[in-house]
Amino acid sequence: MSEKKGLLSGGYEKVVRNKRYIFWFWLLNLTLAEFGVAAFRHQAGAILDNSLYSGGLVHGFDLGVFVEMLVRPEFGPTKASTMPAIFFATLFFAFTVLFLPGVFLGYASNYRLPRDEFFRACGRNLWRFIRLLIVAGIVMGIVTVILFFIRGALVKAAGESTNELLGFEVSMACLLVIFLVMTTLRIWFDLAEADVVLSDQKAVRKSIGAGFRHTFRHLGRLLTSYVITTIVAGIILLAGIWLWRHGVAPDRVWRAFLVSQLMLLLLLIPRFWQRGIAVAYWQREMMVHAVPPLASAPVAVPSGAVVSSPPVV
Amino acid sequence: MKIERVILFFPAVSMAVLSLLVMGHGAKAGAPAQAMTAAAPAKTQAEMASPMAGTGTVTIPDTTLAINSDKAMSERVVHYEIDAKYDAGTHTVNATEVLTYHNLTGQALDHFPFHLYQNAFQPKATFVREAKLVGSRDTAYAKWEDKDYGSEDIKHIFVLGQAGQAGDVEMTNDLKYIQPDDGNKDDRTVVDVPVPRPIAPGAYVQFKIMFQTKFPETQARSGWKRDFVLGGQWFPKVGVFWHGAWNCHQYHNTTEFFADFGVFDVKLTVPQNEVVGASGVLVSDAANSDGTKTYVYHGDDIHDFAWTASPRYKVKDDGVFPGQMGPVKLRILMQPAHWSQAARHEKILMETLERFEMWYGPYPYKMLTLVDPEPDSAAGGMEYPTFITGDSSWFMPKGVLLPEVVVEHEFGHQYWYGMVATNEFEDAWMDEGINSYTEVKVLDSIFGQDRSMLQQAGVTLGEREEQRLSYASAADTDAIAENAYDYYSSNSYAGITYGKTASVLLTLEGIIGEDTMAKAMRTYFMKYRFTHPTKEDFLKTIEEVSGKDLRWYFNPAIYGTQVLDYEVSKIDSFPTNWYEDEKGAGKKKDDKDTVYRSTVWLRRKEDFVFPVELEVKFDNGEKVREHWDGQNRWVKFQYTKKAKIESAEIDPDHKILIDRNDFNNSRTAEPNPKPTRKLSNYWLFLTQWLGQAVAWWGV
Repeated sequence: MSEKKGLLSGGYEKVVRNKRYIFWFWLLNLTLAEFGVAAFRHQAGAILDNSLYSGGLVHGFDLGVFVEMLVRPEFGPTKASTMPAIFFATLFFAFTVLFLPGVFLGYASNYRLPRDEFFRACGRNLWRFIRLLIVAGIVMGIVTVILFFIRGALVKAAGESTNELLGFEVSMACLLVIFLVMTTLRIWFDLAEADVVLSDQKAVRKSIGAGFRHTFRHLGRLLTSYVITTIVAGIILLAGIWLWRHGVAPDRVWRAFLVSQLMLLLLLIPRFWQRGIAVAYWQREMMVHAVPPLASAPVAVPSGAVVSSPPVV
Repeated sequence: MKIERVILFFPAVSMAVLSLLVMGHGAKAGAPAQAMTAAAPAKTQAEMASPMAGTGTVTIPDTTLAINSDKAMSERVVHYEIDAKYDAGTHTVNATEVLTYHNLTGQALDHFPFHLYQNAFQPKATFVREAKLVGSRDTAYAKWEDKDYGSEDIKHIFVLGQAGQAGDVEMTNDLKYIQPDDGNKDDRTVVDVPVPRPIAPGAYVQFKIMFQTKFPETQARSGWKRDFVLGGQWFPKVGVFWHGAWNCHQYHNTTEFFADFGVFDVKLTVPQNEVVGASGVLVSDAANSDGTKTYVYHGDDIHDFAWTASPRYKVKDDGVFPGQMGPVKLRILMQPAHWSQAARHEKILMETLERFEMWYGPYPYKMLTLVDPEPDSAAGGMEYPTFITGDSSWFMPKGVLLPEVVVEHEFGHQYWYGMVATNEFEDAWMDEGINSYTEVKVLDSIFGQDRSMLQQAGVTLGEREEQRLSYASAADTDAIAENAYDYYSSNSYAGITYGKTASVLLTLEGIIGEDTMAKAMRTYFMKYRFTHPTKEDFLKTIEEVSGKDLRWYFNPAIYGTQVLDYEVSKIDSFPTNWYEDEKGAGKKKDDKDTVYRSTVWLRRKEDFVFPVELEVKFDNGEKVREHWDGQNRWVKFQYTKKAKIESAEIDPDHKILIDRNDFNNSRTAEPNPKPTRKLSNYWLFLTQWLGQAVAWWGV
């Protein structure tokens, strides 16, 4: 129990110590999304801005007005507003891939990581992360397809039951299992990512192997920590939506914006917390196997290695 | 005038002569007098309630067991006596049907077409072909499966008493499948039965039909799902002799039904573990030694009979509505997982009944059965006389008013279909559309105008808005007055039949006044209940009650495909002394004494000409109302005031529901970015959240 607490608190301390990462990722998230929303804003504005009928959206949310806006020919095809949003959401994912090595290094450091070290780590590990991503994508993709296929079959079978709730219950049980399996895979590749960065591991397969071994060696501890942080994310989401719904008048757009952004900022914390847990775990359990111990502060080794290496970008 | 008399005179004389000849011929042939002559003395109530009324005098019973009236309310044409046994294992009904038909057509009848609706669910049938072609509410038949198959086979059919004393003539080999609508020889949903000797006007004829119906997995609100079954359109049903000819259409993908009023006595034998509900009232039930149970139902002044069985229904039957003609017992069959919603179903039923009785007329039946059908079945949202199906789910928040909307709608059909029995093949709008209109009225009255469909988590949707959107999705594809099977697509059928009709009638309220419209609806119901009115019967009733010639509106709205779209295309205000500014740039600085020349341009963008109101609001708070007859394509209104235009709005009282685009009905001088910002904020949140979610699992 104390070890679990240790991982959770250890990860959390790293997040707290590096709060700026959360902020920058939130800002990146917001900035990219603003680009993603521009087309929608333009399309909607052309219909809504000068019409009294759009008032039905201000003091409440009249679904009829909203749907009528969507089906107006001048609004254009729905994909004209959804595709940019998807594109920039994907771009955020790409930037996360790019900047995550710096985050791992920052979390492993016991000092405030200088900007150049941060970006050097990002550049140095970019190709490694892409390789990791490809492997993770294949593994998680195959597992996802299999699990959802099984879920579909089970739910379909349950749907034939005369117990109406059985289908829903089976579906929820399956989703819980899928969540746990996918979280386990996420732990595996989080440890691999931490190992790649902190061990300065060029052979990504070795980090993947190490991540795999450690995931299943201490699955209970790691999974519990990850599940707890996910529950925290769920609480933040529900509490945020509740606050948005009940604490903000429907016509208060700026307040709604602030509440929603606060929610999104806080929602970043649990995932970074998980990465902090991965780093904390790596420092306690994997570092001795991956990196020869030094007399100085343990984290200084990989960071030093990074610093001493020629910059990639 | 003379010509008119001659035209009327000759058919009348011809009819009389023909009738005499036919009756004489029948008598010579030794036909039983019962079958050919007028009604014999009525039987007692108990005798009439007997499902097999015996072989005595042939007549249509004048029973009133199932209605709160001491006399028949309809002109009873048919009496169905059906003895049916349901095999839950094979989803099959084996039955014997005795149909007594009273020839009130005024002419001799030598053949009788029957609907065999369940034959629609066969791969080459018209119903399935059309569903594949234009889409369907239930299934598009992407792949044909055995469970989709349904059938209705007449094993034997006899015309009773036409071969001498008590002699019956078997006509099984003379059956002929006909396809009056599309000539599809593979469609067997209508069968024509000749009779050995024509049936004289005023006479009766009896058919005895042994048939087997195999239900498909639920399609078009009939069939089985798991251990549930909804027996709708399950027995051979005679067509309607209407306006001088038999009206017996094939079963189409988008059509419903049409039948004559009469009496139903149905014996239904099912496994003992089944809970049963049906049209009419339950007369008796008795367990049989073979593990089955037989229920006997009786219905008066109805034109169809449906039933359901499931071993898992939970029954709420303690509700009684104090109707104007007498108490109405409410029997609600709920799915076990929906039991907590039973009171919700009963409440909306009571509230709907109350409003229908208050606004349109009394509900005369003693019983109403509401069925909450099997989940995931295509059995939800259906109407049969005194028997309706709702639609719900185990998770149904109180603000999501789907069960209420469905129950209200299906109950409304007790009036618009059940009692005012219009031809659903040809005039679907007169049941679905008029019912959608009254649905808006009732639900708005109960839940509020802008939230009568949805009021959950700050999101609202009104029933009238939903109907309007449905119409707008197919505004110019078909006319309302179109055969239900001739629509461009199933979406057009729904959008026009339901949505456009409701919107047209709501708009009509704005023309003749809400009170007048209410009076017209009540007049229409009371005048045409238990009959088969035409579209002109309805439209003329409105004109008579309102005292207005409304053809200018009915022609484009009901018979045409014209589309209505008015627009405030431009507004403008500029100082009259604009040239006096210091820099000569044409921009005079505003002050309270500045006089402005303001103009509002209106455009009629489509081809529906309709007079409209305009409200112009100035920035000093002043409002001006204008009237435009809409005849020209555009018009402008000009004002010279010490105030600028703030906004202009067409139809400021929101009486016009058939305007295709509500956004361009108004224009403001200054943009109000709040709605856009609000929606953009939602979109922004979703985009950010999506990015975070992808990043959560992806890396």
